[in-house]
Amino acid sequence: MLFFMGTDALAGESALLRNYPKILNAAFFQNSAQLIRITGTVRDAKGEPLPGVGVKSVKSGKSAVTDAGGHFTIEVDSPTEQLTFSFIGYNTQVRSAGSGSSGLTIRMVPSAAVDLDDVVVIGYGTRKKSDLTGAVGSVKQEQLAERPAASLNQALSGRISGVQVNTNSGRPGGQTSIRIRGFSSINSSNNPLYVIDGVILPVGSQTQNSNAIDFLNSGDIASVEVLKDASSIAIYGARGANGVILITTKKGTAQGGRITYDVDFSVPTIGPHRVEMLNAKEYIATENLAYENAKIYDPAGWAAGNYVDPRIKRLSLPRLFDTSGNPLYDTDWFKESTQNKLSQNHQLGFTGGNAETTYGIFLNYREDNGLLLNSYLKRYSGRFTMDTQIKKWIKVGGSLNYTNQEENLVDIGTGGLNSVRMITESFPFLPVKYADGTWADNQNYPGAEGGSNPVHILTDRQYVLQTQNVLGNVYTNINLAPGLELRSVLGANVVTRGRNEYNGRTLYGIAFDQKGTAYLDNNRESYWSFENYMTYNKKFAKDHAVTGLLGLSWQETNIFGFAAGGENFSTDYFGPNNLGAASKPNPGTSRRSSFAFNSYFGRLNYGYKDKYLLTATGRIDGSSKFGANHKYAFFPSAALAWKVSEEDFLKGSRTVSNLKVRASYGVTGNSEINTYSSLALLGTGYSAIIDNVRITGVGTNRLANPDLKWEKTAQSDIGIELGLFDNRVSIEADLYYRKTTDMLLAAPVPTSSGYGSITRNIGSMENKGLEFAISTNNITSKDFSWTSSFNISINKNKVLSLATPADIFGVGNPSFTNETGIIRVGEPVGSFWGLKRLGTWSESERAEAAKYTYRGGKTLLPGDVKYLDVNGDYAINDADRMIIGNGSPDGWGSLTNTFKYKNIELLLELQYSYGNDVLDMSTHSGEDRVGIANSYKTVLGAWTPQNQNTDIAAIRDTRAGYITNVDTRWVQDGSFIRGKNLLLGYTFPASVVEKLKLSRLRIYTTVQNFFLATKYRGNDPEVTTYGNAFSQGQTFFDYPKPTTYMVGLNIGL
Amino acid sequence: MFILIQLVMKQYITYSSILLLVVLVTFSGCKKFLAEKDPSNLEPDTYYTIPEHAEAAIAAAYSQTRFIGSGAGIFVANFSMLEVVTGTAKTETGQNSDLNNLIGLSYNGDNLLVRNWWNGLYSVIAQTNLVLDKVPGISPMDEARKNQILGEARFLRAWAYFYLVRLYGDVPLITAPQSATSENFYPSRTSSEEIYKQITDDLTSAENAGLPWKDPSGRANKGAVKALLAKVYLTMAGQPLNKGAAYYKLASDKALEIITQGGISLFPTYGDLHSLTQENREEHMFEIQYLATVAGNPMQQLLLPNFKNVSAYSDEVGSTVPTTQFYQSYEAGDLRAKDREGFFYTSYYDGGNGALKPLNAPYVFKHFDVVANGTSGVAGTTQSDLNWPQIRYADVLLVYAEAQNRADGAPNAQAYTALNAIRLRAQLLPLAGLSQTAFEEAVWRERWHELCYEGVTWFDMVRLRKAYNEATNTFENFTGHRFPDNPSLVLADKNLLFPLPTAEMRNNPKLVPQNPGY
Repeated sequence: MLFFMGTDALAGESALLRNYPKILNAAFFQNSAQLIRITGTVRDAKGEPLPGVGVKSVKSGKSAVTDAGGHFTIEVDSPTEQLTFSFIGYNTQVRSAGSGSSGLTIRMVPSAAVDLDDVVVIGYGTRKKSDLTGAVGSVKQEQLAERPAASLNQALSGRISGVQVNTNSGRPGGQTSIRIRGFSSINSSNNPLYVIDGVILPVGSQTQNSNAIDFLNSGDIASVEVLKDASSIAIYGARGANGVILITTKKGTAQGGRITYDVDFSVPTIGPHRVEMLNAKEYIATENLAYENAKIYDPAGWAAGNYVDPRIKRLSLPRLFDTSGNPLYDTDWFKESTQNKLSQNHQLGFTGGNAETTYGIFLNYREDNGLLLNSYLKRYSGRFTMDTQIKKWIKVGGSLNYTNQEENLVDIGTGGLNSVRMITESFPFLPVKYADGTWADNQNYPGAEGGSNPVHILTDRQYVLQTQNVLGNVYTNINLAPGLELRSVLGANVVTRGRNEYNGRTLYGIAFDQKGTAYLDNNRESYWSFENYMTYNKKFAKDHAVTGLLGLSWQETNIFGFAAGGENFSTDYFGPNNLGAASKPNPGTSRRSSFAFNSYFGRLNYGYKDKYLLTATGRIDGSSKFGANHKYAFFPSAALAWKVSEEDFLKGSRTVSNLKVRASYGVTGNSEINTYSSLALLGTGYSAIIDNVRITGVGTNRLANPDLKWEKTAQSDIGIELGLFDNRVSIEADLYYRKTTDMLLAAPVPTSSGYGSITRNIGSMENKGLEFAISTNNITSKDFSWTSSFNISINKNKVLSLATPADIFGVGNPSFTNETGIIRVGEPVGSFWGLKRLGTWSESERAEAAKYTYRGGKTLLPGDVKYLDVNGDYAINDADRMIIGNGSPDGWGSLTNTFKYKNIELLLELQYSYGNDVLDMSTHSGEDRVGIANSYKTVLGAWTPQNQNTDIAAIRDTRAGYITNVDTRWVQDGSFIRGKNLLLGYTFPASVVEKLKLSRLRIYTTVQNFFLATKYRGNDPEVTTYGNAFSQGQTFFDYPKPTTYMVGLNIGL
Repeated sequence: MFILIQLVMKQYITYSSILLLVVLVTFSGCKKFLAEKDPSNLEPDTYYTIPEHAEAAIAAAYSQTRFIGSGAGIFVANFSMLEVVTGTAKTETGQNSDLNNLIGLSYNGDNLLVRNWWNGLYSVIAQTNLVLDKVPGISPMDEARKNQILGEARFLRAWAYFYLVRLYGDVPLITAPQSATSENFYPSRTSSEEIYKQITDDLTSAENAGLPWKDPSGRANKGAVKALLAKVYLTMAGQPLNKGAAYYKLASDKALEIITQGGISLFPTYGDLHSLTQENREEHMFEIQYLATVAGNPMQQLLLPNFKNVSAYSDEVGSTVPTTQFYQSYEAGDLRAKDREGFFYTSYYDGGNGALKPLNAPYVFKHFDVVANGTSGVAGTTQSDLNWPQIRYADVLLVYAEAQNRADGAPNAQAYTALNAIRLRAQLLPLAGLSQTAFEEAVWRERWHELCYEGVTWFDMVRLRKAYNEATNTFENFTGHRFPDNPSLVLADKNLLFPLPTAEMRNNPKLVPQNPGY
């Protein structure tokens, strides 16, 4: 809350920060009297002063930065010393320092689309982009700032080819799934490995599928690198099979004190695409027809008087209907359930330092108010970072990050009558509340399935996750000899998460029967890592450049959690805050586990004449999770690159400014299985009731598998990097093939053993794909520039073998009325499993239909759903099911165009995906349950004798017998093009900024998710409501995605 | 590692190498670093040492019997499988395709309920095998209690195998705890004959385990053991083993032992059958135990009419409800068909405790928990402690009547007494002077009407290869039987056995062949 302090306090603070480097500089001068002081001005192409340009002496490493007027001052040892001037978006310039007698004037030239001199972070080191031998994608701070997002994953979406980020929910903080080059695993995690400032983050075991990465303030990120091919990943051997995401956080600055303040305000509104429900009038008509049709579809029940005319029913409900049975209300539950509440995000940075010591303090407060009522995420975070060259031979530093996050998940309870489901299913003729102030719920309408209205649920249900995360590291860099450096990093990450859930006493279908339920859960996950590695850099005989790396590492995670709960409260007053008030306490539980890694790794880079580059990597990894005989495994890789453009025949070519081809091969691993999977265990999950008392039983739990070993993924990659016309056009393309063997799976076993599964290495799977990215500078003129970037990723997955070798059901997919997913040899994972709906039986097919009994034993009639009877046995059951879709896209990517006119910037980012299917299981509730809840508007197109050519069964009272199965009607093409972000920004000119005593001032406005072109009938095809591995595209009522309007301000002091 | 050290030592002996050495020393020889031990679970080789461990082991077996009430997808629990194929029950929801396929007799081995029964029963067997393997070695332990626990385990194992062999025919016989390297981990099918031998061995052994005749705590007891054995003998006498008169004799003798020595009697009213105060007592010889604070009876909502608001529960499902034809097949004046007194209700209180309202259809009252649902003027608690019956004394009486009649060629006086005890409670006239065939059919009729919705009727149909025609009040052959309530459904030979679960056959290539017709 520092930024809300009085101006006096802030002024005092900043004065101190401003003076601090000066004091240090003064001390510095006394020791080095012979220095030459160089001053100068840096201007852009238009001649405007350019603030923020980094000035650096090549020899001494000393650096400075230009002020608002473009001025800089730097000290050098001699006039021949080379100074570099670098600024994002401009070519780096090199100049001799000169005598310092007259000020230098530097004119910066806007850079090509890709700057090959950019330094890219790789595992255990950095490398110039031009020297990379592997496939590494990179995102810089400036790009991240274009689309402020709550989490790193959201910020990465669409940025890098080969990286598929699905933002599967409109919930603040979002539920994202991230896949790099497809799936590598059936049962183990498919999440990439995250490494923050060189510290590997543990793969989380937190509730709601969240990961330690979700707690990182994305405003703290300086750059992100994604390692994709085996050569770049292999240094993380065992853990890298799903790709590695390297995050570099913001550091201090060597050029004196700076203060930055970034703020944005946003409002969510109902998104561009939404599912349509019946309105009150339509519902009434539909229910009347449903009643009439019961006569046809259940003649016996009709004759027995089992059906009540809804017109009569309504007359007894004067609170809802007038005396003629017309509805008094027509509620749009979607509108009622949403809020347009202001969200805010404040980011305050203090950085400073000098050539020896830099430090940074970063504070963030984020309050995201979601589209649904009472949905929010609040995060406070603070980070301190310091780096100092404490002695000539040793540099030490570190960072400490604390995050406190609180979020209310209002859409939990998938499968039940939860808030997002009731938005669809609440009757439109209900008001939110009756005149007497009580909630109007579906339960009040006789014959309904029940449930409460969504506003009621959003108000009386809370599921608050409170997470505290401490992430820190300290390191020492010791210079042992010229070019030889030893680095030790001690990292720690502690995540403490509490879940506070309370469900109100009047929530039908949620806690009404229990008279209120409360659940508390607390989980502490502490992780440490200790890594030591030595790097050796040497150039031999002019043409040979060698970099060697050797290291070793230990990591350990300890998890402890406990949970308690209670039911039956006399009041909702306590919420989750007084379990003792529960008349029926649930037994508490606790759990503890730990796992550890131990690794040895090395890498050798060799470059000949800066044309031919070779990288060889190896890592020996040990994990506690495997059988005694298979704890350790070796993961090698190698890569070659040829900088063709450095060859004589291309050197100086006007057309081809850069051409590099590269190839790599390597093996990486995966060990993300449950702890203790190799041990035989007895469990206590058996509660017997004897003499009306709980007796805890001890019984079978897990089968031993001492042979359990590493899952391995071999990957080969061929890539090409091409720059044309002075790199105004740059293209990067990769072809890859990944094959996973010894896949870890909780493989089903004969249940006659009393066990359900055993963790085994069972089979193999492949991914092959193409990644292509192109960036162009279309127009570069004095006042106007236009750049574009486009990327596409294509991935094809196939299961090659299974040890079983039969199909596997029930792994990685939700089960909904039947298994929705299948793993089958020759098919991709994530395949949907179901019946093929041919349509509906017509009058002319009455006799044929009557041969079937799949409507709960009742004779099939015209107007009933007609399925493909694959084996022709006149029974429709699992034998007739088949693969009916897949949630993974064939291809996906983004197109971004940036226009700059003077100080105005306009950015348009489109995201697309094609070939991904959505299995919308809410079709079951929306189309096959007329009369017990509201339905989708599509039922207006249901079968009637006049409308026989339709997929939708004739409307009837649910009790008269619907047919509902996971089938092709539920599967829809989820291809889409999304208007991801439209940004309009204005950077104030230096003259104005200088007057305000600022170094930077920018104002911008964005609208995110502003259009969506898709054939999908539901809210949003980029969706899953399940956390399972292959559940992408499988949804059962999702948190709707908003269109978000934002304004923001960036201030630099 | 060595190279690393050398490199450092050779080049520069600085603070850094000391640091590195400290690091190496601290972590070297850390083989234990990757060793595993689970602090929240036990290892089987080191448990089972004191008597409490024996109690915990048998408790696990009891807890697994609750699978019968466990869910099987939307709006369905496993118990429904045995009801909806008899013609006495149907559904009001139509939302669960697995249940729909059972009702429509178009199920196969993928059916979730077919799988759940298999898995649930073998889970009970696995826990009992652990008891029988591990408990004998516990020492010191009171021998009498040890014997009882072993007897309880044998009873539960027999209970599970008896279900398995009747549902699926030849099934794998597993009598020892399994590991992935066990000989029987991928078992073949064992002949029904051998399965029955194991069942009778287990039960005979349990008879002598020192169990009390009755046990209101809900544990296995001598009465239940003998009753189950009588039922087993009766089944063995009929299809498919067809052991005939000798086994009818064994069944009648065993049932008679209970009648004469057990000191057990029928409840005076049908209300006692679903009264919390009569659980595990008298007529309820063995039940699946429910207690809301541990595991509530999950069948209450499922059996309620589909969203007619007749209870305190907010969800009322109508998953399994009586067919009209069966309800109408009761003799006039049969108390069991009387609204809210017998096994059915056709009217109930609005919201569970409001004004009485007609429901236009019969629903199951036999398992109706008035405390949880509510009753006139008393709101329901929605927390059901009500047990689910497995073996009832009424069944024992009818087993005796049927078996004696077949064993001896004609009903004796005791058989008439047994049969008429059931009829008298239903306020029906006692029967007398019937031929062997007429008497047998009278017993069957009573079985259908007395033991409905308790998972009994289906097995009667299979062992007799007969089905009850509710419309004509006669018995006809199983194969070709057309359900009067739904004439499009016809029973076939293949329906005599359920299919082996397809998933189990996938995971165990030795589990062949599939039952005929699937």
